[in-house]
This record gives sequence, structure tokens and C-alpha cells, in this order.
Amino acid sequence: MPPEKISILKDRSLMFAKAREFFSKRGVCEVDCPIMSTSASIEVHIDLLRAYGVSTDTYYLHASPEYGMKKLLSEGMGDIYQMSHVFRDNENSMQHNPEFTMVEWYRIKMPFLGMIEEAVDFIREFIGPIPSVKLSYREALKKYARIDYLKTTEEELFQFLENKGIDPYQNIEEEGKDALLNIVLGVIIQPHLGKEDICILQYFPASQAGLAQTRMKGEEKVAEKFEIFYKGIELANGYHQLCNPEEQLERLVTANNTRERLGKDTLPIDESFIKALEKGLPDCCGISVGFDRLMMLRHRKDDIADVIALSER
Amino acid sequence: MGSQISTNDFRSGIKVEMDGQPYVIISNEFVKPGKGQAFNRVRLKHLISGRTVDRTFKSGDKLEVADVVETEMRLLYREQDGMVFMDEKSFEQIKIPLESIGGAVQWMLEDLVYGVIIYKGQPISVEPPTFMEMKITHTDPGVRGDTASGRVLKPAETESGAKIQVPLFVDEGEVIKIDTRTGEYVSRVN
Repeated sequence: MPPEKISILKDRSLMFAKAREFFSKRGVCEVDCPIMSTSASIEVHIDLLRAYGVSTDTYYLHASPEYGMKKLLSEGMGDIYQMSHVFRDNENSMQHNPEFTMVEWYRIKMPFLGMIEEAVDFIREFIGPIPSVKLSYREALKKYARIDYLKTTEEELFQFLENKGIDPYQNIEEEGKDALLNIVLGVIIQPHLGKEDICILQYFPASQAGLAQTRMKGEEKVAEKFEIFYKGIELANGYHQLCNPEEQLERLVTANNTRERLGKDTLPIDESFIKALEKGLPDCCGISVGFDRLMMLRHRKDDIADVIALSER
Repeated sequence: MGSQISTNDFRSGIKVEMDGQPYVIISNEFVKPGKGQAFNRVRLKHLISGRTVDRTFKSGDKLEVADVVETEMRLLYREQDGMVFMDEKSFEQIKIPLESIGGAVQWMLEDLVYGVIIYKGQPISVEPPTFMEMKITHTDPGVRGDTASGRVLKPAETESGAKIQVPLFVDEGEVIKIDTRTGEYVSRVN
């Protein structure tokens, strides 16, 4: 192992300690929810890894500690954070590793904008006192693609991509407008985000809400969801959390149906998670931050493998 | 049906079949914005025309592995409409038509070994070695003073028929080293 790698790994240890200090100063309590469970978190576009033993049980490795943490929130744990390895199948690139380190935390009654501030402060612990700028999803598409996504049709999006020399994958029309917007975001918009300042992309279309609350913003129905970018790299994903158990269950069922339609495996719904929401999730914001990507930026590395202890690559 | 390969395993150099045509993968970039569908931006080069194209694939999508074999073949002799090569391993002889050799025809020298790409049993391209040594068969003597006008190169023709630019000091009959990727002069060979 080159000496530089050793020093990066020593710095990782320092940053784990700094992160813990960040939370302890704010009275946020560390938890360590299981990374493995017989039920699964269900997202259309996240593929889970499984663990098998000699018994017939199938366990899922968590893609984030979200469900476990929300169960604790509903039990009255208060503000909590977890730093743990998480697992996502088929995610491999300079910025992705199937196993990576996530820092996730929840803040009771913290307003959406307050959560963004705290997340940016956390990021600054790693990359220094860099100013931040906010941009709504709609503004970002207007600014960098000259598209008003609300008023643009699917045909116009196809035309736009074609003009940019981007040929969307086959059968994308079956996945609707959000799939086309996803390509616009990933290829055209994202490289611009956070070139100078830390960039907060906020208020996503309600159709991309995930587990975020939605509300009207003028004529636009938006999700109270934000992502943070620096140097074109996505660092964080935060929500004003959805608390309504019926709506949550409905989104999980929809996600499973979509997975089935896309030819992916369907996943067992976590009943105790829905029960916890029925018991009552306090009004809260939550965020997850990619620790390894922060380390990449901190050490000016383009490859995530350069900041992970023993990368498989 | 041959075997298939998923975007997760697309690596540069892998040969695939797309729209019934053979391509080689140049680069593969995995993109996953937020919680959206992951996709791959893939650059491919057409094995026959050399033209590159950019395509987007949904992550996990598959392509057929192209029925492509790379072999080493020695150029034996030229004919009117093609060149006859011998497989270095099987000693089999085949005639490769000039249109399959394409632009590489200018680097063909008898008794040298070339890389040949066979697609579905047919030779589709001939790759010369990256660096070749060959004799200059024609060039005008360098004129002293030309350097003053900023001109340091002059036209020359090699024994394989390639037309290249060489420094003024290179004379007819000399052997030089050429980079066949760019057609540029590299050095004199003593």
C-alpha cells in the first residue's frame, strides 16, 4: 500500500472522530441499527445485496439505515445519527462502490431550511469554509438546459436530448417523463453543480418525492427534498420526512409494482416499519451523506477506491 | 446465439454486437443521479469504419458479445484486389480484400506480421504495428535555408507507399521509424 493511502486512511479515522464530535456538540445521539434484516427497504432504483447462511432465511443488507432509525424515532429516541457501511448491488464507478460509508441523521422538528444549513456545515468539516448557493430543481433545469420541466412534453425532452447528441436507452418511453428528466439531470445538469460553491438543489418534482413530504409551491407540486453537490459530485440527499403511514405504504407498494414491471425482484415490505409509522413518526427532517465522497473531495481524488481501506477494485 | 454481456461488465476493449454490427467499447461511464434510474454512457467504435458513437444504456442492459477473433498474420504477397496473408499459428492462407484493409494499406510490407480482426469468419480489419521501420524511397534533398522560413519538414514516400513528412536532414534510402497511428516521423534508424 502506498504511503499516501496510509495517510488517507489515518485521516479517515480523524474524520470519523470529527463527525462524532459534530453530532455530540449538537446533542445528537449515535445509534447502530442492524445492517441486516429479513425485510427490506424498497426503492425502485436501488438493488439490494442479500446474505445467506446455512438456514433457509434470506437476509437483506441495508442500503441505508433509514427504516431502523425511523423505528427508533417512533419510539421516542429523539435526534439520532448512524455512521455505517451500506450496500447497493450493481453500483460501480469512480464515484460508486457497492459497499460504502453513509452518515445519516434525523432532527426532530427541525425546519427544512435549518436541516440544509446543518448538512452544509457538516460538509464544511471535510472540505473547508466554502460558501453555498441554493437552486431549485426547476431553476436548475431552466438555467443549464433552458427547459421548464413543468411545461415541456416528453416529445420535446426527446428532441432536446437528441439535439445534445444523447441517445436515451431503449424503451425509456415506458418509464415516462421522470426517466427522461433523470438523464437530463445526470448528463447535462449535474456536471455544472457546485463548480465554485457548494450547491444545494432543492424542491424536486413531487413525482420524484421518495419519502419526502410534498406541497404546492405556486403552480408546482414539489417534494421537500434536497441534494447537495460539490464539483459535480452528489454528496447528500435530505428530506422533510413523510409521516403518514397510509401514504408511505402506498408508495412502497407502488415502488414494488414498478420494480416488477421493470423486471426487477420484488421485495418483502417491512411491516414493523409501517407499524412504527402508525405509532407516529415525529415531524422531522433526515439526511444521508456519503462519507467516502467527502473524503474524495478532501483529498482531491477522482476515484472512490483511493479513499476506501481495501477496495475490491 | 453467442453470450451476452451486461453494462456492469462493459470494459474498454471488449467487442460487442449492436444493431447487427461489430463494435469495440472505448469507455463506459456509470451515471446515477440521486435515487433515479442508473444508466451508462458508453462510447463505442465501429470495428470496420472506425467511427465512434455514444450510446446510453439502462444499467444492467445487455449486448451480444461480438463473434470476433484477433489473430496475427504475416503478409505474403500482393494481388490486384487484395493481399494474401498467412495465419502465424495455423499456417492457413487467406486473401484479404483491399477494402477491408482500408487506410492501413499504406503500411503494408511483405513478410511482416499484422493484427487481423476476424468477424463472423471474415477478416474485417488489418492493424499495422504501432511503430514501423521503413526505407524512404523518394524525397527531395533538404534545402538549406528552408528552416529559416519555419519549414522543418518535407514530403517523402516510404517503401510501403505511405506519403509522410520527414525532417529536412532525412535522405532517400535512409531507414526511419514511423508512428503508424499518426503517420508521423519518430526517428532515424541506424
